[in-house]
Amino acid sequence: MQSFFQTLVSGLSFGAVYALIALGFSLVYRTMGLVNFAHGAVLMIGAYVASTFYLSARLPFAVAVPAAMVVTAVIGLVIERILRPLENKDFDLMLIGTIGAGTVLEAVAIIIWSSSGRGVSSPVQTAPLAVGGVSIPGYNILVIVVTAVAMVVLTLFLQRTKHGAAMQAVAMDHEAATAAGIHVGRSNAIAFAIGAALAALAGALIGPMLYVSPTMGDSLGIDGFAAAILGGFGSVPGAIAGGLGIGIISAFAAQQFQGYSDMVTFVVFTVLVMIRPTGIFGEKTVNRA
Amino acid sequence: MVLAVVAWLLPYQLNIYWMSVADTALLFALLAVGMGLVMGVAGQVNLAQVAFFGAGAYVTAILTTHDGYGFWTAAALAVGATVAMGVVVGTPALRIQSHYLGIVTLGLAVAFTDWITNAPITNGDSGISGIPTPPLFGINLTSNYLYYYLELAVLAAGLAFGLFIVRTPLGRRMRAMRDDPLAAGAVGVEIRRLRMIAFVLASIYGGAAGVLYAGLIHYIAPETFSVADMFLLLAMVIIGGRQSLAGCVIGAVALTVVQQELVNLSAYAQLGYGLVVVAVVVFAPTGLVGIPSRALALYRRRRGRGPVAALEPFRPFPAGPEAAGGVMLDVSHLTMRFRGLVALNDVSLAVRSGEILGVVGPNGSGKTTLFNVVSGLYRPSGGRITLDGRVISGARAHRISRLGVARTFQNLRLFTTLTATDNVLVSLDRTRTWWSWRYLLWPAGVWRHDRALKRRAAALLAQFGLAQFSAALPGSLPYGIQRRLEIARAVASSPRLLLLDEPAAGLNGDERSQLAAIVRSIRDSGVTVVLIEHNMGLVMSLCERIIVLDSGAVIAEGAPADVARHPAVLEAYLGTSPVPAPSEPEARQKTEAP
Repeated sequence: MQSFFQTLVSGLSFGAVYALIALGFSLVYRTMGLVNFAHGAVLMIGAYVASTFYLSARLPFAVAVPAAMVVTAVIGLVIERILRPLENKDFDLMLIGTIGAGTVLEAVAIIIWSSSGRGVSSPVQTAPLAVGGVSIPGYNILVIVVTAVAMVVLTLFLQRTKHGAAMQAVAMDHEAATAAGIHVGRSNAIAFAIGAALAALAGALIGPMLYVSPTMGDSLGIDGFAAAILGGFGSVPGAIAGGLGIGIISAFAAQQFQGYSDMVTFVVFTVLVMIRPTGIFGEKTVNRA
Repeated sequence: MVLAVVAWLLPYQLNIYWMSVADTALLFALLAVGMGLVMGVAGQVNLAQVAFFGAGAYVTAILTTHDGYGFWTAAALAVGATVAMGVVVGTPALRIQSHYLGIVTLGLAVAFTDWITNAPITNGDSGISGIPTPPLFGINLTSNYLYYYLELAVLAAGLAFGLFIVRTPLGRRMRAMRDDPLAAGAVGVEIRRLRMIAFVLASIYGGAAGVLYAGLIHYIAPETFSVADMFLLLAMVIIGGRQSLAGCVIGAVALTVVQQELVNLSAYAQLGYGLVVVAVVVFAPTGLVGIPSRALALYRRRRGRGPVAALEPFRPFPAGPEAAGGVMLDVSHLTMRFRGLVALNDVSLAVRSGEILGVVGPNGSGKTTLFNVVSGLYRPSGGRITLDGRVISGARAHRISRLGVARTFQNLRLFTTLTATDNVLVSLDRTRTWWSWRYLLWPAGVWRHDRALKRRAAALLAQFGLAQFSAALPGSLPYGIQRRLEIARAVASSPRLLLLDEPAAGLNGDERSQLAAIVRSIRDSGVTVVLIEHNMGLVMSLCERIIVLDSGAVIAEGAPADVARHPAVLEAYLGTSPVPAPSEPEARQKTEAP
């Protein structure tokens, strides 16, 4: 029982990060119609920038992370301009185009920071919380709390602000949005920048939990994408559900099957997606002939 | 021809290092052809192709080193195992598409990589070494030079077979499915079987490449079959031009060479490679192989138009047998609900054999929904539809198409990358998917069938006056001609019942009267026609009977003149008013909308 809860806690912490990654994917897809496979690489850049601020510049973690988010958001604006022709194109082209962009980011990271990774010490130095025999590291709690706050802020932004409403309008019909006076290009740029900031947040948070290296974005990107699909691509509660789902499934798979954890996770994922193709919170699309 | 000579003479020009590069390039070319078939031709996202490659290699390796099988026996079993894997990977494609299918196939590929890294039988990260060279009539294939010819032979065979598929009915159906699965189903394409065939084909090519790889390098390890290599293969296919198999080969060869050149420059090489990939996708989405035709098209546009193709007159069909007059299509208490919205509410109607029936009603009254349910796009929430006594409600679109129902679409659904002739050919071909066994065992039969189909397609297009447009893509055709082509495509399937959804939308007066002549001629040849239209003049003159729908329910039924006077119809179109019902001449004027 105890190990069950221990695994659950670990699953939830990673799940929170996957949820952030999935959220970035979903936001960009929902507003721009772009499936962005460079998301993992953006996350990696965010992780490196955050760890540079934290380790080299000795900024406190709470300052390093937002600073990294801002820097990465700016980089996101540049990337969006380059990827703009790919929006609303068919999936294969988007896939390979964004992967190419991701490759470029990875190469830039190797050039700046070298291909050997770096470890990031946990900013939370307090002893782990002991609840009923289950040890919960303080950092994991921080991750979950920060993720929850980010979710709430994003939802409020999308639903209560003019820019957020504009982004949703563009997602539904970008031509009508233009006709209504919304600057589609700028709206998309903001959406992409927010997506990049979310990726950076995820990368910065996961730094102390994993090793920061130029290739860290690859498997995290795949996991995050799977989480977004599982929860329902384009949906905010879906990103949360999918992220936690993938986190918990892979934590238990790792505990039970050790080396085969990836295999088990993805087989379970395939079965779940086939049962419910549009994801947990996904919309059923109606074919209009 | 020139390429074949170059390819044959190539080994004489290369040193040992470049020979092994050439060998690798050919293997990737074989993989790329498989990718091209499943992704470019059939439109199925398959990110597990490198896993097929790995499966072929690993099963060969295990069977030869572990269990002592001879190479070719192991090879045959390996391809079989890869096909089994292809069926597993293809199963999700029956339910999901696009990015969903992408992540599922990618996940399965990751699962495969995970397995080969961990399973004891594969030796994990250390890999399997000591794989024997394939024996071939005493030729010493340990030489890379000679192995090259083996690979070339396999690649040539694979490419030829792939091209054969693309240019004949099976490939045409796959391309139709890629362009518009909805319309493809409506002309009788069995979508799910075709998707599975596409994955099986990809797995055969992948498995064969894996077998050859094992026999070439004699050592395999998990790192060769990683996700990174999958994306490299994808880049090859897309940069080369995924819809052209020759393009896939070119992309594979080009990128293998580029990779080798840059292998020592590491990060900067990666940077350049990434930028090139993005540039190609943004500026040349049809790939390198598409550049010449795009340049040609640009040149033609600059020079000005050549002779313009013109629409020829429609030749009426020969009159068919007198219709029996019984009920052909019986719709009984049909209800269609979309979550909270009731689109069709207890609709009952009968279509009599040999008539032209009009379905009219305000926008949103459920007319197209009715067609969608009858043609099998939707499963009804309640009620029953029978065609000549056979229940069809709930059957799949392609099955209903085979029972003799054809349709056109309100928003035009022509296959955009297929020529006018190809559009008609897909519909003309009434063979089932399992007929395709002939591809493997009797290709001559396929060829003959295809030629017969092409003759019939040319005749049909000529009948519709579209002969001069036979090689044109739908997007380049004027709207009225596209509409006529869609009708031709529907008629090509030799239907008994033809459903036309707003065929006159966007047509001018001249085109409309031609349309009326066409519809009458189709009916006279023995086809029952049901017509949705907003143009009242056309409906009144063409239809013998009219059914009026409003908010999903039938509110009137009968001869045009009677329906035009019906109070419920007037209320639906014109609204209620305290003025008493208008007299007959007034009513006729009001319902004849412009």
